[in-house]
Amino acid sequence: MHSHDHTPITAPDGVPGYYEVMETAIRELLMERGLIRPGEIRRQLEVLDSRTPQLGAKVVARAWVDPEFRARLLQNGRTACEELGITFYDDTQLIVLENTDKVHNLIVCTLCSCYPRPVLGLPPDWYKQKPYRARAVREPRVVLAEFGTVIPDDVEIRVSDSTAIVRYLVLPLRPQGTENWTEEELASLVTRDAMIGVITVEPRERVLQ
Amino acid sequence: MSPSAEFVQKLPTDLGGASADRIDCRDHELQPWEKRCHALADVLDYHKILNTEEKRRGVEALGTELIGKLSYYERWVVAFANILFQKQILTPEELSIRMGNVAARHSREAAEQAL
Amino acid sequence: MTSAIAENKGPIVVMADGEAPRFQVGEGVTISVRFPIGHYRVPHYIRGKRAVVEAVIGPRALNNEEEGFGRNAGQKRHYYRVAIPLTDLWPGYAGSAADGLRIEVFENWLERKE
Repeated sequence: MHSHDHTPITAPDGVPGYYEVMETAIRELLMERGLIRPGEIRRQLEVLDSRTPQLGAKVVARAWVDPEFRARLLQNGRTACEELGITFYDDTQLIVLENTDKVHNLIVCTLCSCYPRPVLGLPPDWYKQKPYRARAVREPRVVLAEFGTVIPDDVEIRVSDSTAIVRYLVLPLRPQGTENWTEEELASLVTRDAMIGVITVEPRERVLQ
Repeated sequence: MSPSAEFVQKLPTDLGGASADRIDCRDHELQPWEKRCHALADVLDYHKILNTEEKRRGVEALGTELIGKLSYYERWVVAFANILFQKQILTPEELSIRMGNVAARHSREAAEQAL
Repeated sequence: MTSAIAENKGPIVVMADGEAPRFQVGEGVTISVRFPIGHYRVPHYIRGKRAVVEAVIGPRALNNEEEGFGRNAGQKRHYYRVAIPLTDLWPGYAGSAADGLRIEVFENWLERKE
């Protein structure tokens, strides 16, 4: 099966395509019936726009500097995120997976595209497509190598496949040489892909403000 | 067992362990309609007009060919239509008429802007 | 049916069906073998496999397979995060023998390990 979800095709003059017309028509009809209210879609767009990997990076940086927060985060990912003002509008739970010297975690949704949207925003295309979903549970080390990540054989790889109400976030290892960095500086190192688990957080030169 | 049974028993979206290509890391910025589609899914779920799991089932029910040919949000919006028809919230006729109106409106607006 | 036991007092309540988790952390379980059509949330690749319960997910929740058909109600049960070695899932797995899968499974898909 060849998956076609690359760049969506739109008419060159920007005229809405067939599916945009369908989305607009459904939305208008539902509003006219009073089943949804106009403000609700606008509000939900704002909710979605406010959810980005920066939120997850804040959580990770806080866990790196504050051992008690880290412990609470590993105990209940959702309530710890809520301490930082990150709410879970979709009623999902969150399990934070701690990377260590002995364990490297990776997240996937083989059946669809479950992803910790409240704390990371919307997932990248590759996460939702067949190659990643098929192979992450089958050959995680080969998949990681495609992202440039090599995990030694004496480190266990744990692949978490989300199928239900729990979402996952990887808590990456803190890079060496960042002992005196501020939380903001630490957060700037943490990328979406590191919180999915396909890459590690690499040290870099500190840029003092 | 009938050889076709496996195509009924295994959902086209049940991909764990299937053989597949290299991962293509290209991403795309979501178009506004795709974001609206996502927001619509969330709002429909809040109201339990169409919950998240129904949406997943609706996408699965499109079948292998459509899943392969449609992009991620294209699959969602077609699934919404089918489920709303099943629930008798909309009819195919109503939706088709409105889609015609929306498309005509867009063409008029584009023509006006071109002037 | 399970009774909740108060310290030194014996059972004080009768719990509803599904209220008490059926399985505990560390317990060995087997993923059921059955082939629902139309919708499911237990992927083929784990059916029939042995697993160890790593966590009992709370609070109880609806059966997501039934939710897929619009059922927003019903008897809530627990999901379980279970662990399965990748070598058990894939013959000839080429990574480390310690590599493993973690996946959530609804209580109605788990059986006591035989």
